[in-house]
Amino acid sequence: MTIINVMVPFRLIKRIDDYSRIINEILKHDISFNVLKFSTSSSGINLLLDVPEEKVNTITISLRQNEIQVNKKGRVVLDKDMCIDCGACVSLCPTDALYFKEDTSVGLEEEKCLGCLICIDSCPRGAIEESK
Amino acid sequence: MTKTYQEINDKIKNGDAVVVTAEEMIKIVEENGVKVAAEDIDIVTTGTFGPMCSSGAFLNFGHSDPPIKFDHLWLNEVHAYHGNAAVDCYLGVTRMADKRPFEYGGGNVIEELVSGKPIRLRGTSNTTDCYPLGEIDTYFTIEDLNQAVLCNPRNAYQRYHCAVNSTDRTLFTYMGKLLPNYGNAHYCGAGCLNPLTNDPDYETIGIGTRIFLGGGTGYVIGQGTQHNPKEGFGTLFVKGDLKQMRSEYLRGVNYEQYGTSMFCGVGVPIPILNEGLAKKTAIKDEDIITEIVDYGVPRRDRPKIGTSNYKELKSGVIKINRKEIKCSSMSSLYYARKIANELKEWIEDGDFLLNPPAEQLPTNTPFKPMRQTSEIKFVKDLKKEAIICYEDCDIQIVANKIINQNINHIVITDRNRKLKGIVTSFDITKAVAKNKKNLLDIITKKVITTTDNEPIEVASRKMKKNAISALPVVDDKNIVIGIISSEELM
Repeated sequence: MTIINVMVPFRLIKRIDDYSRIINEILKHDISFNVLKFSTSSSGINLLLDVPEEKVNTITISLRQNEIQVNKKGRVVLDKDMCIDCGACVSLCPTDALYFKEDTSVGLEEEKCLGCLICIDSCPRGAIEESK
Repeated sequence: MTKTYQEINDKIKNGDAVVVTAEEMIKIVEENGVKVAAEDIDIVTTGTFGPMCSSGAFLNFGHSDPPIKFDHLWLNEVHAYHGNAAVDCYLGVTRMADKRPFEYGGGNVIEELVSGKPIRLRGTSNTTDCYPLGEIDTYFTIEDLNQAVLCNPRNAYQRYHCAVNSTDRTLFTYMGKLLPNYGNAHYCGAGCLNPLTNDPDYETIGIGTRIFLGGGTGYVIGQGTQHNPKEGFGTLFVKGDLKQMRSEYLRGVNYEQYGTSMFCGVGVPIPILNEGLAKKTAIKDEDIITEIVDYGVPRRDRPKIGTSNYKELKSGVIKINRKEIKCSSMSSLYYARKIANELKEWIEDGDFLLNPPAEQLPTNTPFKPMRQTSEIKFVKDLKKEAIICYEDCDIQIVANKIINQNINHIVITDRNRKLKGIVTSFDITKAVAKNKKNLLDIITKKVITTTDNEPIEVASRKMKKNAISALPVVDDKNIVIGIISSEELM
């Protein structure tokens, strides 16, 4: 399974029916998926979806056609000036985006980050922040 | 083959001493054997860098004019301990700022102090004939202090256990964020680089041993508190002049919902006086065994659910009941290595000499629990009989029971008294308001529960944390055997 970030801008959802229309848009491709996280931001509704890897493209195209933003990009940033390379975040990261480098310092592979944000409150130095 | 401290120090002064880190020593002994290694190697350096809660600093500010004898004082709003002479204090790293706890604490103040930043000192006094000043509010830097002494009652654990969480909720502990259902594991310590692990019989480490402390020079001044040599959990009491330390090795930290602490860098040089020490300093990660402990049970004696070793821990994955669990450290191996290497350079440069301890660390200190003179109460002592309805019961009957028995909570079970949910008088009111007829539609199904042998304090914290006022008491098969509500705890 692959996790994707989906952002539904508020302007697309005027009524509750609009929301079901969007969900149906995904369901019509016969994709079973998990909603890992549902949250709202100033710009819209954010969904963290766990979808089968082979369906990522289909779902992405379909959603984008409906003006819904989809991305797999990293959602946290690591401030290396604050980081003390302890590793309190590493065991929490579901995709190994936070990892120990060869020299045992802590690194972040932004490409792998899904934005689940589980790591943020694990950092005793406040070195991990949600990217803007 | 034996060497003396004098011989080793002469070599250091001549620039001839052979110094390696504890990690390098492993390979040397493996390739050349203990005998040759003992002859070739003079000193093995160790290092560790982790959260060390039992740390803090003694500070002396000098006298104000007119003079003040502190009653209370705060450094950047963190309350310092004053129980000594007029302008002495002790600032502990876990003390949190009065106005922003769980965010800023004594560890942060020490880091800022060492990095040269100005620190606000605010103090109050009862005033005396000799110390008439009632209040002070001023700023100082480390340069302005007479003495600034890092003095840590317990640092550098020989080894530490590995923490996991068996419960169904995330725990925030001093071992970090522990995910439910054994979702991850955290360990602490640098394994084969740990100072005391390399001298487990405390032959060379004792009172007066000169060490690397916080990026400067420090000393071991005795056994640390809770020193537990019989179990292989030795600790060090250390001190050093803060003025020559570096903030890189003293880092204030804050653990979510636990509080503040400080990472402290400690490195101890071990002179290879004999073959025995050559062998001991070659200890490998796989030979350092530690226990996997369940932090889901908030008791002093947390259940031990298995063992691991530092090789497995450092690999990033441990196995519990054949399930692979992602594992990482709370301490920094990267900095531990850096410390062992920096200490090695100091010695190679001839700047750092070794000395025999004035007294060795004890090997037989008993490790005792707290003596508690008042009995602790358990849920079984205070629980009441639960008023139960079956899951197919009519809402009307449930409502009647609430009124007749004058209670707030009805526990919902199946015919075998197995827990299915809980319903409150408020839920019934809501059901009436929304015209709901089916009991299963209004009950809370994900119930927070307790057990007979849970201490009252633990049950009470569960209620407070979840903003609820009662917990069904269940046995290990989830059969309801009572209820405890906030009224019983008053």
